[in-house]
Amino acid sequence: MDEAIAVVGLTKVYGEGQRGVTPVKAVDQISFTVRRGETFGFLGPNGAGKTTTINILTTLLPPTGGTARVMGHDVVTDAYGVREEIGIVPEISNIYEELSAWGNLMFTGRLYGVSRGERERQAEELLRAFGLWEKRDVLSAGFSKGMKRRLCLAMGLMHRPHVLFLDEPTSGLDVQSVLVIREMIRRLRSEGVTIFLTTHNIEEASQSCDRVAFINYGQLAAVDSPENLKAAFTGMQSVEVAFIGGDAEAAGLDALPGVREVRRSGDKWRLYTDVPAQVIPAVVDCARACHLTIASLNTLGPSLEEVFVKMTGITPPARPADALPGNGQGRQGAGQRRLG
Amino acid sequence: MNKTHWWGRLRHEAERAWIIAEKDIRIYYAKPPVIMWGIALPFFMFLSWSVGRNRPAGALIPGLVAITVFFTASSIGPVVIPWEKRVRTFERLLTAPVSLPAILLGKTLAGVVFGLAVAIVPLLVGLLLGARVSDPVGLIVGLALSSGAFASLGVLFSTIPGPNVGSVMMPATLIRWPLLFISGVFVPLTALAWWGKALAYLSPLTYANDIIQRTMGGDGYLMPVLDMGALLVFWAVFLLAGLRLHEAGRQRGL
Repeated sequence: MDEAIAVVGLTKVYGEGQRGVTPVKAVDQISFTVRRGETFGFLGPNGAGKTTTINILTTLLPPTGGTARVMGHDVVTDAYGVREEIGIVPEISNIYEELSAWGNLMFTGRLYGVSRGERERQAEELLRAFGLWEKRDVLSAGFSKGMKRRLCLAMGLMHRPHVLFLDEPTSGLDVQSVLVIREMIRRLRSEGVTIFLTTHNIEEASQSCDRVAFINYGQLAAVDSPENLKAAFTGMQSVEVAFIGGDAEAAGLDALPGVREVRRSGDKWRLYTDVPAQVIPAVVDCARACHLTIASLNTLGPSLEEVFVKMTGITPPARPADALPGNGQGRQGAGQRRLG
Repeated sequence: MNKTHWWGRLRHEAERAWIIAEKDIRIYYAKPPVIMWGIALPFFMFLSWSVGRNRPAGALIPGLVAITVFFTASSIGPVVIPWEKRVRTFERLLTAPVSLPAILLGKTLAGVVFGLAVAIVPLLVGLLLGARVSDPVGLIVGLALSSGAFASLGVLFSTIPGPNVGSVMMPATLIRWPLLFISGVFVPLTALAWWGKALAYLSPLTYANDIIQRTMGGDGYLMPVLDMGALLVFWAVFLLAGLRLHEAGRQRGL
């Protein structure tokens, strides 16, 4: 068995068969596999079906149709087997605030049948790794959000699970907590733990995940490695340029041949094009004509976030201030066009 | 331990139920809603009923013990479970290798321990006021079975959908009060009309009050075996009904 998670035709309909309730299909016939030791990103906008899928895989919710197996155990017929194999770190840190960090880990260890000696060894190791050892006897109600998150992750690892479900692991945390958690994810990965990660931080998924899946309206839009997904969207290439001095807004970058759209990001201008080789000399000529000095000039492929936006059809909010004034048409075009 | 064998599995589940009960005892006994709904309310209600009545204080103690156990043990479920659902720690239990029956049994056991512990207070007060215990073993068994039945009633109450503890406790209390008045605590069973008695037999508090009265030197109306058997049946029925409703809620994603 090479797969840690195998999902075939998984479907979940809420409200089916309930009187007075309109059924809602949250997950619609999705199929994918996660290999053992793989870090798998599961991405999608709010309401896309991510949480429902995770709840099914973690046995919290029964599916309406299809099958899902975790480490060979069926989530419906062998939920017990699934639960012994998985660790879960939900988006909301569900620790017992009335217990200390040590008390939380001891309770979790006992619940999973970890022997006393092993419990204490594992708890000390995890608390030290997560920078909580000094606070082990403090009630966790007084912990910061980042400390609670670290403790929640430690609780998810107490029984050394083979598959770890991480829901938004670093969302809204302080830098120290983010670094500690990222380091732990790297370590788990090197130890061969399969990680199922959902996050809104798409660049984080791009850097951490071997493969990602995009889900939208309950259906899978794509499953592949981040680089393969980016490579499939050659039409989303761009030229990024930064200038020193002069008025770049008046330079008419959006009117250059081959430029489809121009967006400003900080002190840089990003020119979206299908033909970067044609745009680069045009930018150099334009800079010379407008007495602008080029500080940097790069060609870029699409980011995973751009691929995500393209595939899920999300419309970013209009940002007219980012668009160049140009000939008027450019301003309107940049402001109103959907990304991708 | 071989968990595939039925005995190993049963032991495993029983151990997990006790681990959950221990955790609940450590965490939730000092929660304000438990104190308010479980201890303060029955205490003041009993005072309002007993003050000015022309009966020796010791004679009122069995009723006070019964009411206290009823309110305390049945408060754990509707306080703890909605609380844990709100802060998502209930999910932690549901995704651990432990069955839903064991989780709910753990919550019930926590209620049993709570009910027994709190019953000691009115008992001690009663002994100081002249009440006596004629059958200590029977009293302990009766209190344990009563606490079990009431705690599993609390687990059943906890299936009432609601966003917070208050929205579950209010309807739970609306059900508990009528039970209180039909159970022979305030008006003895012997003084009830036939239809009053028929109603009283539907309440677990009737049997709890009867066995506590009898083991504290009073006159019981029913046979002790019948009281204990009925309390056991109520315990099982409430727990199974709670289990079914929790499972139905899980199917709907609640």
